[in-house]
Amino acid sequence: MSTHMNGPVPYETDVVVVGSGAGGATTAALLAEAGFSVVVLEEGRWIPQGALRPFSLEQMTQQYRGGGVTVALGRPSIAYAEGRCAGGGTEINSGLYIRPPTELLHRWRRDFHISDLDDDEIAEICAEVESSLSVGFVPGRPTAASERLRDGAIALGWQQNEAPRWMTYPPSGDATSGRRQSMTETYLPRGIRAGAQLVTGCVVDRLEIQHGRVSAVSYRLNDGPVASGSKSEPQHTGATRTGRIRCGAVFVCAGAIHSPALLQRSGIGGPIGRTLAFHPTVKLAARFPQVVNVDDDVPVHQVKEFSPNISFGGSASNSGLVALALSDHWQVFKDAVTDWQHVAVYYAAITSQGKGRVRSIPGFHDPLVTYHLTGRDRHVLRSGLGRLGLTMLQAGATEVYPSFRGAPVVRNRADLGAMQQSFSAMKASLMTVHLCSTVPLGEDRDRCAADSFGRIHSTANVYVNDASLLPTAPGVNPQGSVMAFAIRNARRFIATAHRRTARTSA
Amino acid sequence: MTNETDQHTASASASANFPDGSPTFPDGSADPIAAAVVAAGTTQRSESPALTLVTGAAGWVGRALVERLLATRQDGRIRILVRNAGDIDAFGWRRPGLEVVVGDVTRIGDVERFFAGLSGGGESATGASGSHVPSTDVIHAAGVIHPESVAGFYAVNTEGTKNIVATARRSGVRRLVHVSSNSPFGTNPTHDDVFRNDEPYRPYFNYGISKMQGELAVLEAVRADGLDAVIVRPPWFYGPFQPARQTVFFTMIKKGRFPVLASGEQRRSMVYIDNLVDGIIAAELTPGVAGKGYWIADAKPYSINEIVATVASALRDEGYDASGKSLRAPGIVGKVAEFADKLLQGSGRYNQQIHVLGEMDKTIACDISAARAELGYDPKIDLHEGMRRSIQWCKQNGIEL
Repeated sequence: MSTHMNGPVPYETDVVVVGSGAGGATTAALLAEAGFSVVVLEEGRWIPQGALRPFSLEQMTQQYRGGGVTVALGRPSIAYAEGRCAGGGTEINSGLYIRPPTELLHRWRRDFHISDLDDDEIAEICAEVESSLSVGFVPGRPTAASERLRDGAIALGWQQNEAPRWMTYPPSGDATSGRRQSMTETYLPRGIRAGAQLVTGCVVDRLEIQHGRVSAVSYRLNDGPVASGSKSEPQHTGATRTGRIRCGAVFVCAGAIHSPALLQRSGIGGPIGRTLAFHPTVKLAARFPQVVNVDDDVPVHQVKEFSPNISFGGSASNSGLVALALSDHWQVFKDAVTDWQHVAVYYAAITSQGKGRVRSIPGFHDPLVTYHLTGRDRHVLRSGLGRLGLTMLQAGATEVYPSFRGAPVVRNRADLGAMQQSFSAMKASLMTVHLCSTVPLGEDRDRCAADSFGRIHSTANVYVNDASLLPTAPGVNPQGSVMAFAIRNARRFIATAHRRTARTSA
Repeated sequence: MTNETDQHTASASASANFPDGSPTFPDGSADPIAAAVVAAGTTQRSESPALTLVTGAAGWVGRALVERLLATRQDGRIRILVRNAGDIDAFGWRRPGLEVVVGDVTRIGDVERFFAGLSGGGESATGASGSHVPSTDVIHAAGVIHPESVAGFYAVNTEGTKNIVATARRSGVRRLVHVSSNSPFGTNPTHDDVFRNDEPYRPYFNYGISKMQGELAVLEAVRADGLDAVIVRPPWFYGPFQPARQTVFFTMIKKGRFPVLASGEQRRSMVYIDNLVDGIIAAELTPGVAGKGYWIADAKPYSINEIVATVASALRDEGYDASGKSLRAPGIVGKVAEFADKLLQGSGRYNQQIHVLGEMDKTIACDISAARAELGYDPKIDLHEGMRRSIQWCKQNGIEL
């Protein structure tokens, strides 16, 4: 595969796209196909799908920011994960795909005054994305861990479903043989074929902005391969470790933490980074009489009975992650680790009313991230963990190990009562993956730094086009929403740019 | 008599007595059970037992239940357990076939006397053909919600229930109905959440723990000993026979002094006492649901604002001058009261006002669809009508509001 091959970093381009995840890759592809010259600057490396074992330690080291250890400070602090590689989060996540629910779009349009947000257009874009990513259901039986969750919910009469994924399967392949149709498999090659240049190992320091217009982007090159794709690619040879690209517009697609941080570093004011939202998540491990563990895949079933407040699903459960899930009360739980093939990890994710902030700090590349849960959030987390525990007992789990400090082993309903009584969010190992809402879009300028199509209100040509734009945490897997908005906004940019050109030439 | 025959008899009598499809008794009162059978269509019913045992008969639920049984089980024997014989004289319950046992569920000797004469013919009493052992059902309605001390919760709600369960099992009853509560499940995490029929326990303070332990004793007897028992879970109830604490509730609303904490959008499931009796009897007479528990409540949860407004309107309908206002207080009041309650209960003491205030900013809402589907339960009385009836009852009984 050589479509992502690049020469030296250019000095000038129509559009710079910062970041190559679900937002950046789609933006780059659409703009390049519309005839713009596009340079994509990506901090991480290009690692082809399948080169690393999914959810492995090696993958965490190479494809996650901070080796997978990033934390939103607060009481309690909440660990979060971000992709840092070509393709961003799409390379490392579960590949689940949910369209943005229509009632959510209505709420966003109403509460944030988003103009021209059309249900039919979003549906049409979603259909296009689903075709491009081969979104579909697993062939044959789902994994045993997925079936346990499903059957527990069915026994309780609770709503559950199989979430579709962006996967392709070989003929007669089973649920575990899928190949993730991430950005490095889909929109990035598409953009590169249309002429976009991808530069990996490139950190953007700031946008050069004067009088509300960006004129250039200054960057720094990391050690190691630069404009590279695989080991055979040429190494960066120039002595220059920093540089700048002059450009007509910038799309910032660095994710909900680093997009606002870059805007702040570049001196852009307004409500940026003040409304970080995500789905705080609490976990448990469940032990079954039968083998349930599939060490490099995740369950596809989700329990939606309490949606959007609470959703259950399965987590990656290789032996290391099982051990991690048991670590909260290791003295009591450790015996289960030798039986890890019978153990699977599940989560309860909630919609939160808490608020977080992203603040860039002079002299540091990584911003300070804080998040504070509300009393209601803590109650919902406890309820989610309790209901998830009941689902596991109904699914036939012999023992359940909740992920909080000092948690009891749960074997029956009485234990579940004791577990809920002793739970406190302060003791829990909370984590999250769905970071969003740091640059919400809309015409309500008190809350929205970006307009209805992602342009920063106070600028003429700086755009955000990633999860930062989603006005709130959606209550479902957000990647479908991210891509739908990114494509919608890129189309609008193309349409208005052509109008501008037509006017100028007329 | 087999269940199949029971069902046949029940439906035959329903069609015989209610040819026009409007199930009423000769005195004109609706028969809610027959109505429920008609409504649900497919719900099976056992025949009424030859003997019905009721604990806690002098309590709020117990009185309403016994009144119903006295009216509807003319041919059956009814045996009640009460702590003071004097209560019964005041109720005016005199009828052949009513047997009064004075005793306390906390004393095993009393409980054994209550079950006297039942000799373990349980298997045949469940309906095997050819048996002449009369069938017996037990409705365990004894419980304490506002005791003098914390120890009272456990003596009655936990140990008392264990005594009933153990003796019922030895005596071979056909069906035990255990009247539980919402409190083993705590409060809903959000104001728009409703408890599904099956939820994990999260007991709320000592009352909740003691009621949870009572439920666990029942479930364990079903699992291990094959006892045929069903749990019903009423939330906050209201209606005739209400104790003095509920009168205070009316008085506060009338005077505009009912404390509505925070937004008032928190919700409560409530159950009118006659709806609850319908549910208890449905649970008693529905075969094949041993080991299950059901929420028994009015059709839907109400917001606190709706409750206050509806009670004020019912008071006005009954000729009272109700302000319709409420005392607005920030949510912090509830939190402080909850904390004070915790401290007090931690030291073994219990204060009713503080406990109730501590709960008032919470949502306790449940979903009755399982009781509808599996028991044919169908609550007939809504909040406004139920509150009117309880205000009328207060008037008739000379209670000043």
